[in-house]
Amino acid sequence: MNKNNPIKLTKRGFHWIDERYKLTDLFSFLKKKSVPQYRATIWYYFGGIALLLFTVQVVTGILLLMYYKGTQDLAYESVKYIDTKVNFGWLIRSVHSWSANLMVLSVFIHMFSVYFLKSFRKPRELTWYTGIGLLLLSFAFGFSGYLLPWNELAFFATKVGTDIVGEVPLVGEYFLKLLRGGEDVTGATLSRFFGLHVAVFPGLFTILLALHLIFIQRQGMTEPEDWKSKPVSEKQQIPFFPNFALRELIIWLIVINILAILAVFFPWEIGNKADLFAPAPEGIKPEWYFLFMFQVLKMLPGKMILINGEFFGILMFGIGGLLWILVPFWEKRTPIGIRNRLLTYFGIFVIIFIIIFTMLGFYLD
Amino acid sequence: MIFPQEKTDQCISCHFDLEDKVAISYKTDVHFNKGISCSACHGGDSNSDDMELSMSKEKGFIGVPSRGVRINSCINCHSNAQIMKRYGSTIPTNQYELLKLSVHSKNIIGGEGFIVDCISCHSVHDIASVRSKSSKVYPTKIVELCGSCHSSAEFMKNYNSALPVDQVVKYRTSTHGKLNAQGDPNAAECINCHGNHEIRAVNDPKSTVYATNIPQVCSACHSDQKKMAPYKIPTNQYSLFENSVHGKALLEKHDINAPSCNDCHGNHGAVPPGVESISKVCGSCHALNAELFDQSPHKKPFDENSLSECESCHGNHGVSHPTDEMLGVNEGAVCIDCHSNQSDDKGFFVAARMKEIIDSLQLERDETIKILDEAGKKSMDVSDAVFSLQDLRQILIQSRTKVHSFDLEKYEELTNQGFEITTKAKSEGLASIENYYFRRKGLGVATIIVTILVIGLYIKLRRLEKKNSSA
Repeated sequence: MNKNNPIKLTKRGFHWIDERYKLTDLFSFLKKKSVPQYRATIWYYFGGIALLLFTVQVVTGILLLMYYKGTQDLAYESVKYIDTKVNFGWLIRSVHSWSANLMVLSVFIHMFSVYFLKSFRKPRELTWYTGIGLLLLSFAFGFSGYLLPWNELAFFATKVGTDIVGEVPLVGEYFLKLLRGGEDVTGATLSRFFGLHVAVFPGLFTILLALHLIFIQRQGMTEPEDWKSKPVSEKQQIPFFPNFALRELIIWLIVINILAILAVFFPWEIGNKADLFAPAPEGIKPEWYFLFMFQVLKMLPGKMILINGEFFGILMFGIGGLLWILVPFWEKRTPIGIRNRLLTYFGIFVIIFIIIFTMLGFYLD
Repeated sequence: MIFPQEKTDQCISCHFDLEDKVAISYKTDVHFNKGISCSACHGGDSNSDDMELSMSKEKGFIGVPSRGVRINSCINCHSNAQIMKRYGSTIPTNQYELLKLSVHSKNIIGGEGFIVDCISCHSVHDIASVRSKSSKVYPTKIVELCGSCHSSAEFMKNYNSALPVDQVVKYRTSTHGKLNAQGDPNAAECINCHGNHEIRAVNDPKSTVYATNIPQVCSACHSDQKKMAPYKIPTNQYSLFENSVHGKALLEKHDINAPSCNDCHGNHGAVPPGVESISKVCGSCHALNAELFDQSPHKKPFDENSLSECESCHGNHGVSHPTDEMLGVNEGAVCIDCHSNQSDDKGFFVAARMKEIIDSLQLERDETIKILDEAGKKSMDVSDAVFSLQDLRQILIQSRTKVHSFDLEKYEELTNQGFEITTKAKSEGLASIENYYFRRKGLGVATIIVTILVIGLYIKLRRLEKKNSSA
């Protein structure tokens, strides 16, 4: 074989990089990295799924950005152009929309699995907080992105959604104007949301995601509570590379295929262009992940304990959300090895609550 | 106070002796003949021959009733069925109630009382039965009576300055007006159309002359064979009209823009202003069709042969919704009423070709809609193509108007634009359907590749895990 053999060339290339960046150290780290194998291992894959879907969002988002125009006059037309005239534009847009929804779903599942597995406990508090930050940013991505096609449903849903912000006493009105770029949802709101969606949120998300991943790599995968009392020989582990990575890759391929099926069989409709002077059409609803909150606020009476019903609802959601976020601070039993069933029941209650009110939101007018 | 007929009426006796003109004229009044004394309206004691006593306040004498209350003198009896029955009268007793609903019941300027009350029309001391020729409201006299106010711009400006004051002048040019002037009491005059006591504004839906009510008002006479017999005119106009495209729009859809009888025949005058004859009335609404016809080769022969233009093909009262079947040389087409398959009859071939073109365009449109529907059902976005069909719809409407030019070249110029639209929209629809299947095939291929990859990776993983466990 001559010295230009491709295998030899690759080895030389690797040696060149390894000499400078110490790749061997990284590989030995990956070889040592392992993942606990037990009945709940399946939930460990959802973080990876969310990561894959975020990557899909970035790639499809950049492609859409090449044709999308973020102004009141051109937004709808540009999306229509992408859908009908750009090669595979329909696929890119549909994948972007479906992937956004699946990403929020994966982040939700990931968060609940972390909660039920009590993986937020010391020393992983910051991983939990960065994760919560990523969930909130996913919501913000969804809310801002929903308006961008500038269609009727998105316009009125944004109007209703931002109205809720205006209900917050003292600062509500200020934030409402800040969010909308004026008194009402207009082209100024669209420009604002577009800027946030493609510049501000991705930047923040990347920083938080990097921190989240660094924390996980530094601390390793969390082990189940009852492993503390087990001898090392009984703690079954699988190597992260290649075993866990291969499994994750199989799941990623399946998720990509599901995305393609959804995009082909259920292409994301664009609807009618938003008309600022038209009356709101019937059945205006926010995206499914805001639906439970929307439905609860809708069902609350006008007055609750001497205060405005809607404000009461916002207050309750605020307190509940804060309790949920601060769980690593107030939950003291798990870190000292005591099972905390109450925490599990609370989590189950939250899931049932979300499912019931989301379904009511779907089926009730 | 009503005096029995047998008693001597001192009011009449004295005033007649004094040769009072009012008293003399009252002797011709229908009320005098019924034994009703002056005191019934003026108060006082008609039994007393003492002037001071009979015309004293104590006896209730009021002299000439004021403008505001004079109507009470009439309605005291005419709104009381019992009193009217006592005098053997069969006339209705609801005139006052109807008058209150009328435009005439508004207050007069600068005073009290209706603009028009009983004596404004029926007179005062020489009131005659409405059937009597001497009555002020007898059909041959009523036009001038109404005109006494309605023809006076000075008077009318006080109450409705927008209302024209030339109705009587116009009426006299109409057939109704001419017959009326000849003394025909059966010819329609003001109250036949506008009603008498309950006259409402023409824009009041309850008015007898509101657009949707006019056909019934006209047909009250014109559908009456007995009434129309002396004039020797048909009586089927209403039955034709109510089934016509205009009649259905007006009477069923209550579209007040649809023509009623008066829109073609005129109301007070003979024809609407600015139109020379009834046959050209259609052009006042269907202006484009009329203009095209005027420039068409048909214009000259129609004029020469005194043929009515639109009416020859579309009919008059029973005009139905025009269909494409009216065009061409097949059975049901109106063109073959005059044209025949002769080598020198160019019109026959033009008609046949026009029909062929409109049929093809219609077929192309139907086929395009079918294709776009199919694409839409497959969730493909064909909204641009669907939108372009709006232009086609416009072209189809225009082409049906363009027929009236009877110019094949101009007709083809327009319809070719329609064919261009269908060709483009159809190809977009077909491309979308093709794209739909391409997407599915692509998904199928991608799924096979992903499945092979997943199986391959799974086998690799199983081998790896087996190796690890054996090690």
